[in-house]
Amino acid sequence: MKTKTTKTILSAAAAAALAFTATAQAAEKLNIYCWSEYIPQDVIDDFAKETGIKVSVENYASNEEMLAKLGAGGGSFDIIQPSEYVVEALVKEKLLRPLDKKAIPNLKNIGPKFLNMPFDPGNKYSVPFMAGTVGIVVNTELVKEDIKSFSDVFKPANKGKIVVLDDAREIVSWALLSKGIPVNDVSDKNLEKAKGVLSDWIPLIKVYDSDSPKTALLNGDVAIGVVWCGEGAILLNENKKFRWVIPAEGTHLFIDSLAIPKTAKNFANAEKFMNYILQPEVSKKISEAFPYLNPNKEAVKLLTEEQRNNPASFPSKKDLGKMETFKDIGERGSVIEEIVTSLKVE
Amino acid sequence: MALPSAVSNTGGSDMHRRKPGLLAWLILLPLVAWLLLFVVAPTVMLIVVSFAERDALGRIVYEFNLQNYARAFDWVWLKVMLLSIWYALLTTILCMALGYPVAYFIGRAPERWRTTLLLLVMVPFWTSFLIRTYAWITILSKDGLLNALLVGSGILTEPLALLYTPFAIVLGLVYNFLPFMILPIYTSVEKLDNALIEAAYDLGAGPVRAFSQVIIPLTRPGIAAGAMLVFIPSIAMFAITTLMGGGSNPTIGEVIFKQFTSGRNQPFGAALGTLLLVIFLLALWLTNRQREERN
Repeated sequence: MKTKTTKTILSAAAAAALAFTATAQAAEKLNIYCWSEYIPQDVIDDFAKETGIKVSVENYASNEEMLAKLGAGGGSFDIIQPSEYVVEALVKEKLLRPLDKKAIPNLKNIGPKFLNMPFDPGNKYSVPFMAGTVGIVVNTELVKEDIKSFSDVFKPANKGKIVVLDDAREIVSWALLSKGIPVNDVSDKNLEKAKGVLSDWIPLIKVYDSDSPKTALLNGDVAIGVVWCGEGAILLNENKKFRWVIPAEGTHLFIDSLAIPKTAKNFANAEKFMNYILQPEVSKKISEAFPYLNPNKEAVKLLTEEQRNNPASFPSKKDLGKMETFKDIGERGSVIEEIVTSLKVE
Repeated sequence: MALPSAVSNTGGSDMHRRKPGLLAWLILLPLVAWLLLFVVAPTVMLIVVSFAERDALGRIVYEFNLQNYARAFDWVWLKVMLLSIWYALLTTILCMALGYPVAYFIGRAPERWRTTLLLLVMVPFWTSFLIRTYAWITILSKDGLLNALLVGSGILTEPLALLYTPFAIVLGLVYNFLPFMILPIYTSVEKLDNALIEAAYDLGAGPVRAFSQVIIPLTRPGIAAGAMLVFIPSIAMFAITTLMGGGSNPTIGEVIFKQFTSGRNQPFGAALGTLLLVIFLLALWLTNRQREERN
């Protein structure tokens, strides 16, 4: 769920429509600034109906887009949906408002392994919304070899058959993992090593797509994908020929949270919204629309056996233990972007 | 960009120009305000930001420096720029080759048909271009309509890899920008004086000579306007190239877009954008100079 260009445009229209349907009690407001395709529309509608709060939604396509708008002082948002490393950066820059935990009793529904994470110790500023990981999807009809790792994916035999996320930090992290380097260790020396690996890998890649990498896989244009687990889960539901693999080298865990910017005016309503979507029944609805790794343990109990056994949505405890979260790397992001772009044009 | 008017403006009428009065300025006011607000101001902002720095969160820090430009002249980015210019050039040439006959046909068709024919050119473009681009994805993909047709009818045994190739990028660009070539050429063709063509034949010119030495020069303003209208937006286009090209041959539009988003480096993106602007101005200046020389 990192870059979603086109859907933002479409969902902006939906958001505009919502602004009109909200109730007439104009006093109470809530301005949500969230990822496109992440909070189902009916969940927002139900919240507005139940509380009488007038909700307006704006979408962004990447964490950085949100940061740019927040940093520029644009908009007056009451709730944002940053990923873990962005929460870390925002806390560091003192741009978030501490949460009133008493207003969010449903936080108890979140599984302990998603609380008290290094990016926000004690969850002073953020509430987990959805978690997930990046893994490998294999179309077993087209690829007969047993793919277990990133190194198995990026082999000359698979040239022109691969779709990956269009996300430089992700791509570089896989190369780092293949060299046994932790994903947050982005020193010049390590990036040089990653560059060496990527100069072999990048010419093999056919499509870069963070928006909907499943499309190229479904259309048969590629046979292997390195994609968000939510996309993987949908593919597995779609057709039995797709197999989900957690890379042997390890992969990273992302946790998208809800947080309140320091400048928020309707922070009490923001906390109400947080508490609302932490209810098991509501969280289940979100899981059904976007089958990511739901950190809400009570919501998971409400899912069907099949949904719970989807290996892309819910990785095993053992695999989960191997996963690391991204840390904020600040200006290094631009260096990483340059490495990937330069290899693409070579 | 307010380029088309500058190009299609046929020179030579300067002698009769009068100073606009107060009323004229009042009528022009909305346009002037529009240009100031949405063309001049953003351009100035772009240039200012291109000399700035940014902090760890990607916020702009206004400290003058030239490092963005120093970096922009790196071979990596120049290569991207050249590739984008190449795609844009190819698109312009193909649009010309495809668009000229169509525009000529419509322009010379009986008058009562012209509006209908022009409408037919434009009808597809009433649909959102995103939807049209996704339609191409459905047509070109491995399991897509075209491959199903080719393989099903026995013309091919194996489906072709059409999508996510440079071919798909240029196809997408040509498809989207073709009307911008057809319309200005049509305007020129419509004004074409038949007597001049007849005169060419009377003076012994064959069809080839009449076309190349009479028709082409007379419709040149339309061709030039069309070329600018196609060339300039195709260089910077990023949505089509990302969706249909798969992102493995990044264009300058995609690279700039990334600097403003995941690269967290707006000043560098602004520097690349400013360079692109300089290229546009150069292209415009060249076309203008050519026209003046001819006049």
